[in-house]
Amino acid sequence: MTKPLILLHEEALRATHPVFNAAPEGTRSIFIWDDSYFRKLDYSLKRLVFIYESLCELPVDILQGDIVSVIKEIAPTQLYVPASNKPPFISMMDNLKSIANLHIIQDEDFVTIPTTTELKRFFKYWSVAEKTAFRKNGDRDA
Amino acid sequence: MRQLQKKFDDRNHLIAHVKSLAPWAEGASSHIEGGRQKAESKLSTIDPIGYCETRNFGDGKITKLSPYIYHGILSLNEVRNYALTKCGDPAEITKFIQELGWRDFWQRALFAHPNWAWNDIEDYKTGFTADDYADQLPHDLVEGKTGVACIDTFIKELMHTGYIHNHARMYLASYVIHFRRIKWQVGARWFLKHLLDGDLASNNLSWQWVASTFSNKPYIFNLENVHKYFETLVDTSPNSNKALSATYEELQARLFPNLRVAP
Repeated sequence: MTKPLILLHEEALRATHPVFNAAPEGTRSIFIWDDSYFRKLDYSLKRLVFIYESLCELPVDILQGDIVSVIKEIAPTQLYVPASNKPPFISMMDNLKSIANLHIIQDEDFVTIPTTTELKRFFKYWSVAEKTAFRKNGDRDA
Repeated sequence: MRQLQKKFDDRNHLIAHVKSLAPWAEGASSHIEGGRQKAESKLSTIDPIGYCETRNFGDGKITKLSPYIYHGILSLNEVRNYALTKCGDPAEITKFIQELGWRDFWQRALFAHPNWAWNDIEDYKTGFTADDYADQLPHDLVEGKTGVACIDTFIKELMHTGYIHNHARMYLASYVIHFRRIKWQVGARWFLKHLLDGDLASNNLSWQWVASTFSNKPYIFNLENVHKYFETLVDTSPNSNKALSATYEELQARLFPNLRVAP
């Protein structure tokens, strides 16, 4: 029997994020208020308040605790997590891989570009990106 | 594990609750409120055409959507889609779409190169090496008491609200790195602590762009530039901003003496 879980983080605080579609209908979603994680990021109070009040509008349970410990306690078989490029997040995901089958879900794309696009300077990127940047849904529907 | 409450009588109670969860967190809350409702309300008032014409000015028609975009409360896609409904021809909002593109670019760049977050991507192009830059943020900067009036105003706004205009961010970053010769990483960490939209990719790679470790030359500014864009908002008198009151040639010579061409 599968036991899925959605683990939200601070960069994916909307109910229409693709992670909600990726997980089976009715999957529980949680946000773990991890004090040591926030301390490492050294956020000021205004940042924490902004996150908390955004969470209050979402269909998500806010659980206080250490991220890995809480996931171990819930023990999901399938874990759905929005993607992030933050190094602390990436190392956290490495820790969670051994606990559950991990699904990292990207947010919807802004533009449609080849994965080989040059990212060393903005205007190299833009010369490719502008072909779809002005189209609804970045031309994904085309 | 404890399930935390989500219902509060008012915002003050919510703020007190967060304070109790993180008594170590510095400062006070911002007047800028989180949540999808606030985000949608702000999105409904954007003026993408006006943005293109006035975005560089402190009192220009900027959207202030970035805290909501960073937290994924709004996606770049839906902001773009909405903006397209506010113009007759997408060409009218080129700069608006391009600014969204900058954020997409930073995100993709860091996904592809996670080591770019805190390491110099290239050498400084200032005539100095990384070792020539300080590792600490001096107290006068943290407290907004540098003696440069416009810089102090921007710092206090950052501390108080967690948001400052993008142009002011560039001034502050340039002041920290080039006028005070402090490592960009120190300034980037300071911004991430306070900016409600503080995003590792956009923030750090922008700091690297100003530093010249992710661009072809250092970004500098002078008082005339601040006066042009922020005259109505900050004190731009030369007497209150002596460090900035110079031509670009003078600043270039003063800030980057090693780059001077021998006669």
